Amino acid sequence: MALKTKAHHQSSNHSSVATSIKTLKLNLSVFKYSTWLDENQLRRTGPWIAVGIAVLLRWAVSLGPYSGMASPPRFGDYEAQRHWMELTLHRPVREWYSDSSKWWDLDYPPLTAYVSLICAYIGNMISPEWFAWKSSRGYESIEAKLYMRSTVLFLELAVYFTSIFAFTARWFSKQNWTHQHTALVLILIQPGIILIDSGHFQYNTVMLGLVVWSVNCFLDDQDVLGSVFFCLALGFKQMALYFSPAVFAYLLGKSIRQGFFGCIWKLIKLGSTVILTLGLLFAPWSHTLPDILQVLHRIFPVFRGLYQDKVANVWCAVNVVVKLREMFDIKQLVRFSTATTMLAFLPSTVMLLARPTKRSLLYGMVNTSLSFFLLSFQVHEKSILIPALPITLLILDEPAVGSLFITSATFSMFPLLRQEGLVTPYLVLMGLWIWLTAGAFKGTPTLLSGFAIANIFIIFSMHMAEFLIPLPLAKYPDIYSVLNALWNAACFVVFWIYYNHRQYRQYCQ
Amino acid sequence: MQTSLLVISIALKVLLYPTYHSTDFEVHRNWLAITHSLPLSKWYIENTSEWTLDYPPFFAWFEKFLAFFAAKVDPKIVQVDNLNYDTWITVYFQRTTVIVTELVLFWALQRLLKVMGNRPLQKILNWSLMLNPGLLMVDNMHFQYNGFLYGILVHSLVDAKQGNLLRSGILFAALLNFKHIFLYISLPYFAFLLRAYCFENSGNSIRARSWISAFRPFHLLALGLSVIAVFALSLGPFVALDQLPQLAGRLFPFKRGLCHSYWAANFWAIYSFVDRVLIIVVSKFPLLGQYLNLSLDPSALAATTRGLVGDTAFGVLPTVTAQHTLILTLLLQIPGFVAVFRRPTFDRFIGSIVLSAFASFLAGWHVHEKAILLCTVTMTVALANQLGATPNSGAGALADLRSSSSALTPRDVRAFMIVSLAGYIGLWPLFFTREETPIKVLITVLWFIIVGSGLDQCIPKPLNASPSSSAIGKSMLRYFTTLERLYVFGCVPVQLYVNVIHEALFGLETLAFLPLMITSVYAAVGVIYGWLLYSASYFSPSKVALDKKKKLR
Repeated sequence: MALKTKAHHQSSNHSSVATSIKTLKLNLSVFKYSTWLDENQLRRTGPWIAVGIAVLLRWAVSLGPYSGMASPPRFGDYEAQRHWMELTLHRPVREWYSDSSKWWDLDYPPLTAYVSLICAYIGNMISPEWFAWKSSRGYESIEAKLYMRSTVLFLELAVYFTSIFAFTARWFSKQNWTHQHTALVLILIQPGIILIDSGHFQYNTVMLGLVVWSVNCFLDDQDVLGSVFFCLALGFKQMALYFSPAVFAYLLGKSIRQGFFGCIWKLIKLGSTVILTLGLLFAPWSHTLPDILQVLHRIFPVFRGLYQDKVANVWCAVNVVVKLREMFDIKQLVRFSTATTMLAFLPSTVMLLARPTKRSLLYGMVNTSLSFFLLSFQVHEKSILIPALPITLLILDEPAVGSLFITSATFSMFPLLRQEGLVTPYLVLMGLWIWLTAGAFKGTPTLLSGFAIANIFIIFSMHMAEFLIPLPLAKYPDIYSVLNALWNAACFVVFWIYYNHRQYRQYCQ
Repeated sequence: MQTSLLVISIALKVLLYPTYHSTDFEVHRNWLAITHSLPLSKWYIENTSEWTLDYPPFFAWFEKFLAFFAAKVDPKIVQVDNLNYDTWITVYFQRTTVIVTELVLFWALQRLLKVMGNRPLQKILNWSLMLNPGLLMVDNMHFQYNGFLYGILVHSLVDAKQGNLLRSGILFAALLNFKHIFLYISLPYFAFLLRAYCFENSGNSIRARSWISAFRPFHLLALGLSVIAVFALSLGPFVALDQLPQLAGRLFPFKRGLCHSYWAANFWAIYSFVDRVLIIVVSKFPLLGQYLNLSLDPSALAATTRGLVGDTAFGVLPTVTAQHTLILTLLLQIPGFVAVFRRPTFDRFIGSIVLSAFASFLAGWHVHEKAILLCTVTMTVALANQLGATPNSGAGALADLRSSSSALTPRDVRAFMIVSLAGYIGLWPLFFTREETPIKVLITVLWFIIVGSGLDQCIPKPLNASPSSSAIGKSMLRYFTTLERLYVFGCVPVQLYVNVIHEALFGLETLAFLPLMITSVYAAVGVIYGWLLYSASYFSPSKVALDKKKKLR
């Protein structure tokens, strides 16, 4: 019986290899583990183990400090999220975006606010003082932290994990189970997401999970449902806009191919879906124009400046040499950055429009989001998680470059993580990621593996330098952050070129 | 080298740095301070902190060695009067020393792999030991140095397997001077070394008249002198200082009660539980009590309800004294002892070590719940040894009778899995903070699933199994009996009640001892069952029959 099943597996492997687009010879240790699972007929247990390990890592990280822990007067992102729960629980809906208490204004779209309301409602039943109006500002306790952390984990499990399961089942449907499981494990232990959501404290995975759900629908040709999910993602966090040119081009490209009436019908369907979904999300504020403008003004805070702190994008890098912010005023900068961003994502959207295949949709999402990250206005260092999402999804299609990108992305958030006391989990998860994906570089071109080694060497030496010569240095108060941003910006530009090139190759096939 | 194992275990253990650490953390910090700042003569006298040094001298020297680095990291760590000092640098330092010294275990496991045969299944056993939830919880969360100590034990066992009996004996003697809990398994060591090293060992029992001719006096001398030398090195200075009684008083605090702060999962947990039930029965139905001739000791009522450290008083059942537990422990160890003495093979030796560990854990005086590690670690080595004797699936023709007699059976695996599950769940109450709950649950469940599925491979799959059998039939639980499956799945509702529902119903204050009692009793049932199962496997008639067959040849 055992022999029979084995033989059966092998034959099915052969057939699936033949049909798959390219045969992957994976040197990843995760792949070996997946093979072990497969050989021992643990296909059903494997996913549970993967979820268990992923949750264990997340929970271990979440025991550490969060953004702004015990640092009055303003605290950090944790307090922002907690305050939004307090705000949504105690204020009428109309006032959510116009409340002027000067304490962490709500600047995320409505779905975040609704989710906050649900979290606050449940939390309020457990302990009213966590979200008491005004008196809870800056409230910190072990129980409150535990509750907040569990909301993140629960939402992540409900939205992100499920979406990844569905994605791997679709993306690797023509390959064998081991590939699918390897991808699942790697995606779930991607360090950036764990560190930011479970360490720093944010709900990025809800937005990212909704985006993946929309991709899942697109993979199933359920374009209407997919756009609903995409609008929900947009409604949770406006940063999902980074993907919108790719999604738009993909859907438009597909519509065009359906003949004149088919195209119009499809566009009407999609357009009304988008309007309806966003309309429902924004319904409470859509009575008067000033209300809507107030919401939009909060969500797109152009007044905040070209970029925040040090972020590994083009503007911050250029700023080291040319002081852009002193040369131009904000309006000019907005126009300029918008124009360059559009220019940067133009090639990939055009390719997607011309050949809207499912594979190039993901490549297009990488390229547009990376263009936004590199060139758009007001980018946070955490926004690198957005291009990191499609790159993580493509981890087995581009194992070496994907691994390299995630390494750089995690490294680019190091200044933030250091500030918050998350150095230990950063080192562990980063080391684990590098080690688990190191096998991907076997047999890659010398240029690539050389780049990977150089990258790791630079990361290592920067950390060592910072460890040996701690800040503050009198002359260069933020030398390490600047160096980090410069190096990573250069890397990200290279990645942008690479993924555009790859998309072009997809296009030519 | 199992680099993957090393990397993953270090990664996980470093991630556990911010978890809750118990008073044992302060205990060890205090010992760092005592051994570093005070002269040898004060080590076992010093009592500024309530956590006095109560490990044998080698461990004190080990602490002194660590304190050398501690003083470099932060001199405040090694100040005797700097009580409850746990800055993050102290935590990081001490937690790191645990991980670094645990490399001794990793090294021992690599040797184990080499000696017992380097097969995938043995690698799984290595993983299971290095990433053992018991060690993770006790060492890397609660805070102790068991990984290091069990590393020495595994080294000693590997030496015994290799036939380096003298080195094995010396290592064990040293181990006893690191932590005296290993006295629990000293009887089989004594029997094995005496019989296998000090007598001509043909693998068979010796007839009465050839005892003298088989005796090897020089071996006895060598072994005796080395062991005495180890003890002299450890205790000598304190004998010279005339502090031996003081040291002994610290090491063996018989003033403590029968049960630890919460009951370890052993006989006495069941005994105390029965007593609790009888107290309720007798006080609610006095007539029934009179009929059964049970009387209630009123002084015991208040004492045991909270189960605090101190003398455990029983309300209805007779009191158990230290002598009783000692006699019972020895009695339970005798069969294994005799088996080793009759035929000193390594298979019998390692099995009887497991049985001794069980005997001491189940019947000992003031047993800590952490002592379950002694059972599970030695059981892992025993399983690895049995695996080594299991014929390769391909080379079945070569399998001789000897190997099949000690081959791994489903029964051993079941015993191992159930004891581990019960024992590790018995460790859960060490972590009463809610933040740690997901971690302790996840590491235990993940370990159970991965190791269970892994060990499942060593059991040959039945050829006639119907492909459409149920989910259980395909899972790792397929060899478990219905009762065992019930026990495994029963853990879920029981622990759900203990960790979540109880608090929601009664809060933290009322009936605080109830969840602890439920955990202990439930775990005790599993441990005792696993012990019986393992004993049955060890003394199984098939083995005896095979031995007889061999003798006939």
